[in-house]
Amino acid sequence: MTLTAFYVLAAFIIIFAILAVTSANMVRAAFSLAITFFLVAGLYLMLGSPALAAIQFMVNASAIPIMTLFIIMMTQSRSTPPPRTWEMVLGLVAAAGALVFFRQAVVHGDGQITPAGTAVLGEGLLRAALLPFEIASVLLLLAMVGAIVLARRRAG
Amino acid sequence: MVTLGHFLLLAGVLMAIGLYGVLTRRNLIAVLMSVEILLNAAALAFVSVAAYRDPHLFAGQIFALFIIVVAAAELSIGFAILLNVYRTHGVVESDAISEMRG
Repeated sequence: MTLTAFYVLAAFIIIFAILAVTSANMVRAAFSLAITFFLVAGLYLMLGSPALAAIQFMVNASAIPIMTLFIIMMTQSRSTPPPRTWEMVLGLVAAAGALVFFRQAVVHGDGQITPAGTAVLGEGLLRAALLPFEIASVLLLLAMVGAIVLARRRAG
Repeated sequence: MVTLGHFLLLAGVLMAIGLYGVLTRRNLIAVLMSVEILLNAAALAFVSVAAYRDPHLFAGQIFALFIIVVAAAELSIGFAILLNVYRTHGVVESDAISEMRG
Protein backbone atom coordinates (compact mmCIF):
# COMPACT_ATOMS: atom_id res chain seq x y z
CA MET A 1 0.00 0.00 0.00
CA THR A 2 2.64 2.49 1.09
CA LEU A 3 4.98 1.13 -1.57
CA THR A 4 2.34 1.65 -4.27
CA ALA A 5 1.75 5.22 -3.10
CA PHE A 6 5.49 5.86 -3.13
CA TYR A 7 5.89 4.50 -6.66
CA VAL A 8 2.97 6.56 -7.97
CA LEU A 9 4.34 9.73 -6.32
CA ALA A 10 7.87 9.03 -7.56
CA ALA A 11 6.70 8.38 -11.14
CA PHE A 12 4.75 11.64 -11.27
CA ILE A 13 7.62 13.57 -9.62
CA ILE A 14 10.08 12.31 -12.24
CA ILE A 15 7.67 12.97 -15.14
CA PHE A 16 6.92 16.54 -14.04
CA ALA A 17 10.57 17.28 -13.20
CA ILE A 18 11.59 16.17 -16.70
CA LEU A 19 8.82 18.35 -18.14
CA ALA A 20 10.05 21.29 -16.05
CA VAL A 21 13.60 21.04 -17.43
CA THR A 22 12.77 20.19 -21.05
CA SER A 23 9.55 22.02 -21.94
CA ALA A 24 10.09 24.80 -24.48
CA ASN A 25 7.05 26.64 -23.13
CA MET A 26 8.27 28.46 -20.02
CA VAL A 27 4.81 28.84 -18.47
CA ARG A 28 4.27 25.11 -18.78
CA ALA A 29 7.70 24.50 -17.23
CA ALA A 30 6.85 26.74 -14.27
CA PHE A 31 3.58 24.90 -13.64
CA SER A 32 5.37 21.54 -13.92
CA LEU A 33 7.85 22.78 -11.32
CA ALA A 34 4.96 23.69 -9.00
CA ILE A 35 3.41 20.24 -9.40
CA THR A 36 6.80 18.58 -8.76
CA PHE A 37 7.24 20.48 -5.50
CA PHE A 38 3.65 19.77 -4.50
CA LEU A 39 4.27 16.03 -4.94
CA VAL A 40 7.55 16.29 -2.99
CA ALA A 41 5.44 17.77 -0.16
CA GLY A 42 3.46 14.52 -0.33
CA LEU A 43 6.73 12.62 0.10
CA TYR A 44 7.50 14.71 3.20
CA LEU A 45 4.09 13.72 4.60
CA MET A 46 5.00 10.11 3.92
CA LEU A 47 8.28 10.64 5.76
CA GLY A 48 6.35 11.76 8.83
CA SER A 49 7.14 15.47 8.93
CA PRO A 50 3.91 17.40 8.32
CA ALA A 51 5.52 20.73 9.28
CA LEU A 52 8.04 20.47 6.45
CA ALA A 53 5.29 19.39 4.08
CA ALA A 54 3.30 22.52 4.93
CA ILE A 55 6.36 24.74 4.46
CA GLN A 56 7.17 23.04 1.17
CA PHE A 57 3.61 23.58 0.01
CA MET A 58 3.55 27.25 1.00
CA VAL A 59 7.01 28.31 -0.14
CA ASN A 60 8.22 25.98 -2.85
CA ALA A 61 4.93 24.88 -4.40
CA SER A 62 3.14 28.23 -4.24
CA ALA A 63 5.34 31.28 -3.77
CA ILE A 64 8.30 30.34 -5.96
CA PRO A 65 6.30 29.30 -9.08
CA ILE A 66 4.21 32.46 -8.80
CA MET A 67 7.38 34.57 -8.62
CA THR A 68 8.77 32.61 -11.57
CA LEU A 69 5.60 33.25 -13.58
CA PHE A 70 5.82 36.99 -12.81
CA ILE A 71 9.43 37.10 -14.01
CA ILE A 72 8.54 35.10 -17.14
CA MET A 73 5.84 37.64 -17.96
CA MET A 74 7.98 40.68 -17.08
CA THR A 75 10.90 39.57 -19.25
CA GLN A 76 8.61 38.37 -22.07
CA SER A 77 10.32 35.01 -22.33
CA ARG A 78 7.33 32.76 -22.92
CA SER A 79 9.43 30.21 -24.76
CA THR A 80 13.05 29.17 -24.57
CA PRO A 81 15.15 28.09 -27.57
CA PRO A 82 15.93 24.35 -27.70
CA PRO A 83 19.40 23.30 -26.47
CA ARG A 84 22.21 22.82 -28.96
CA THR A 85 23.31 19.27 -29.70
CA TRP A 86 26.58 19.48 -27.79
CA GLU A 87 24.79 21.00 -24.80
CA MET A 88 22.31 18.13 -24.82
CA VAL A 89 25.12 15.55 -25.03
CA LEU A 90 26.98 17.26 -22.19
CA GLY A 91 23.83 17.38 -20.06
CA LEU A 92 22.98 13.73 -20.68
CA VAL A 93 26.56 12.62 -19.88
CA ALA A 94 26.60 14.69 -16.68
CA ALA A 95 23.17 13.36 -15.63
CA ALA A 96 24.25 9.77 -16.30
CA GLY A 97 27.45 10.31 -14.33
CA ALA A 98 25.49 11.79 -11.44
CA LEU A 99 23.10 8.83 -11.52
CA VAL A 100 26.01 6.33 -11.36
CA PHE A 101 27.55 8.31 -8.51
CA PHE A 102 24.31 8.48 -6.52
CA ARG A 103 23.58 4.81 -7.17
CA GLN A 104 26.75 4.02 -5.24
CA ALA A 105 25.82 6.41 -2.47
CA VAL A 106 22.39 4.82 -1.86
CA VAL A 107 22.24 3.21 1.57
CA HIS A 108 20.52 -0.14 1.74
CA GLY A 109 18.79 -1.85 4.59
CA ASP A 110 15.39 -1.15 5.97
CA GLY A 111 14.43 0.85 8.99
CA GLN A 112 11.46 2.43 10.59
CA ILE A 113 10.27 5.94 9.82
CA THR A 114 10.19 8.02 12.98
CA PRO A 115 7.52 10.72 12.66
CA ALA A 116 8.85 14.16 13.52
CA GLY A 117 6.17 16.12 15.31
CA THR A 118 5.89 19.83 14.74
CA ALA A 119 6.52 20.54 18.42
CA VAL A 120 9.75 18.54 18.45
CA LEU A 121 10.93 20.21 15.26
CA GLY A 122 10.23 23.67 16.65
CA GLU A 123 12.00 22.85 19.88
CA GLY A 124 15.05 21.62 17.98
CA LEU A 125 14.94 24.73 15.80
CA LEU A 126 14.87 27.13 18.73
CA ARG A 127 17.19 25.22 21.02
CA ALA A 128 19.86 23.36 19.04
CA ALA A 129 19.79 25.56 15.93
CA LEU A 130 19.00 28.95 17.41
CA LEU A 131 21.99 30.79 15.92
CA PRO A 132 21.44 29.46 12.35
CA PHE A 133 17.74 30.33 12.75
CA GLU A 134 18.56 33.96 13.52
CA ILE A 135 21.16 34.07 10.74
CA ALA A 136 18.52 32.73 8.34
CA SER A 137 16.15 35.54 9.29
CA VAL A 138 18.91 38.11 8.69
CA LEU A 139 19.66 36.40 5.36
CA LEU A 140 16.02 36.72 4.30
CA LEU A 141 16.01 40.40 5.26
CA LEU A 142 19.22 40.98 3.30
CA ALA A 143 17.79 39.15 0.29
CA MET A 144 14.66 41.29 0.42
CA VAL A 145 16.60 44.57 0.60
CA GLY A 146 19.06 43.37 -2.04
CA ALA A 147 16.29 42.37 -4.43
CA ILE A 148 14.58 45.74 -4.01
CA VAL A 149 17.83 47.65 -4.59
CA LEU A 150 18.80 45.51 -7.60
CA ALA A 151 15.40 45.61 -9.28
CA ARG A 152 14.78 49.31 -8.67
CA ARG A 153 14.47 51.36 -11.82
CA ARG A 154 17.36 53.77 -11.90
CA ALA A 155 16.60 57.45 -12.37
CA GLY A 156 17.73 58.91 -15.66
CA MET B 1 7.86 -1.58 2.68
CA VAL B 2 9.45 1.67 1.53
CA THR B 3 13.09 1.76 2.53
CA LEU B 4 15.61 4.54 2.81
CA GLY B 5 17.16 3.39 -0.46
CA HIS B 6 13.96 4.21 -2.38
CA PHE B 7 13.94 7.80 -1.17
CA LEU B 8 17.67 8.30 -1.73
CA LEU B 9 17.45 6.87 -5.24
CA LEU B 10 14.56 9.22 -6.05
CA ALA B 11 16.60 12.15 -4.70
CA GLY B 12 19.49 11.07 -6.93
CA VAL B 13 17.24 10.90 -10.01
CA LEU B 14 15.87 14.37 -9.21
CA MET B 15 19.45 15.61 -8.82
CA ALA B 16 20.38 14.19 -12.25
CA ILE B 17 17.32 15.81 -13.87
CA GLY B 18 18.18 19.17 -12.30
CA LEU B 19 21.80 18.87 -13.44
CA TYR B 20 20.63 18.18 -16.99
CA GLY B 21 18.41 21.26 -16.85
CA VAL B 22 21.19 23.50 -15.54
CA LEU B 23 23.52 22.39 -18.34
CA THR B 24 21.06 22.48 -21.25
CA ARG B 25 18.65 25.35 -20.60
CA ARG B 26 19.46 28.54 -22.49
CA ASN B 27 16.94 30.81 -20.78
CA LEU B 28 18.37 31.97 -17.44
CA ILE B 29 14.99 31.77 -15.69
CA ALA B 30 14.82 28.11 -16.66
CA VAL B 31 18.35 27.62 -15.29
CA LEU B 32 17.22 29.03 -11.95
CA MET B 33 14.22 26.69 -12.00
CA SER B 34 16.56 23.74 -12.53
CA VAL B 35 18.68 24.94 -9.60
CA GLU B 36 15.49 24.83 -7.53
CA ILE B 37 15.02 21.16 -8.48
CA LEU B 38 18.63 20.45 -7.42
CA LEU B 39 18.13 22.11 -4.03
CA ASN B 40 14.86 20.25 -3.50
CA ALA B 41 16.56 16.93 -4.23
CA ALA B 42 19.18 17.71 -1.57
CA ALA B 43 16.45 18.61 0.93
CA LEU B 44 14.62 15.37 0.15
CA ALA B 45 17.79 13.36 0.83
CA PHE B 46 18.31 15.17 4.14
CA VAL B 47 14.72 14.60 5.28
CA SER B 48 14.66 10.93 4.31
CA VAL B 49 17.93 10.15 6.11
CA ALA B 50 16.69 12.07 9.17
CA ALA B 51 13.38 10.18 9.20
CA TYR B 52 15.04 6.77 9.03
CA ARG B 53 18.30 7.12 10.93
CA ASP B 54 17.98 10.03 13.34
CA PRO B 55 14.98 9.53 15.63
CA HIS B 56 15.90 12.13 18.25
CA LEU B 57 17.80 15.07 16.82
CA PHE B 58 15.84 15.97 13.66
CA ALA B 59 18.93 17.71 12.34
CA GLY B 60 17.99 16.62 8.82
CA GLN B 61 14.60 18.31 8.99
CA ILE B 62 16.23 21.53 10.24
CA PHE B 63 18.75 21.32 7.40
CA ALA B 64 15.90 20.97 4.90
CA LEU B 65 14.23 24.03 6.41
CA PHE B 66 17.40 26.07 5.95
CA ILE B 67 17.77 24.76 2.39
CA ILE B 68 14.28 26.13 1.63
CA VAL B 69 15.21 29.49 3.18
CA VAL B 70 18.45 29.78 1.24
CA ALA B 71 16.70 28.70 -1.97
CA ALA B 72 14.09 31.44 -1.57
CA ALA B 73 16.76 34.09 -0.93
CA GLU B 74 18.88 32.90 -3.86
CA LEU B 75 15.91 32.88 -6.20
CA SER B 76 14.76 36.40 -5.32
CA ILE B 77 18.26 37.85 -5.81
CA GLY B 78 18.67 35.86 -9.03
CA PHE B 79 15.39 37.16 -10.43
CA ALA B 80 16.33 40.74 -9.55
CA ILE B 81 19.60 40.31 -11.44
CA LEU B 82 17.73 38.78 -14.40
CA LEU B 83 15.43 41.80 -14.46
CA ASN B 84 18.51 43.99 -14.84
CA VAL B 85 19.82 41.71 -17.59
CA TYR B 86 16.51 42.11 -19.40
CA ARG B 87 16.73 45.90 -19.11
CA THR B 88 20.26 46.09 -20.51
CA HIS B 89 20.14 43.31 -23.13
CA GLY B 90 16.47 42.84 -23.99
CA VAL B 91 16.60 39.05 -23.47
CA VAL B 92 17.42 36.76 -20.56
CA GLU B 93 19.43 34.14 -22.42
CA SER B 94 22.87 32.94 -21.46
CA ASP B 95 24.30 33.72 -24.93
CA ALA B 96 23.38 37.40 -24.53
CA ILE B 97 25.56 37.93 -21.46
CA SER B 98 28.65 36.06 -22.67
CA GLU B 99 30.62 39.31 -22.86
CA MET B 100 31.14 41.16 -19.57
CA ARG B 101 29.84 44.52 -20.58
CA GLY B 102 27.30 46.67 -18.79
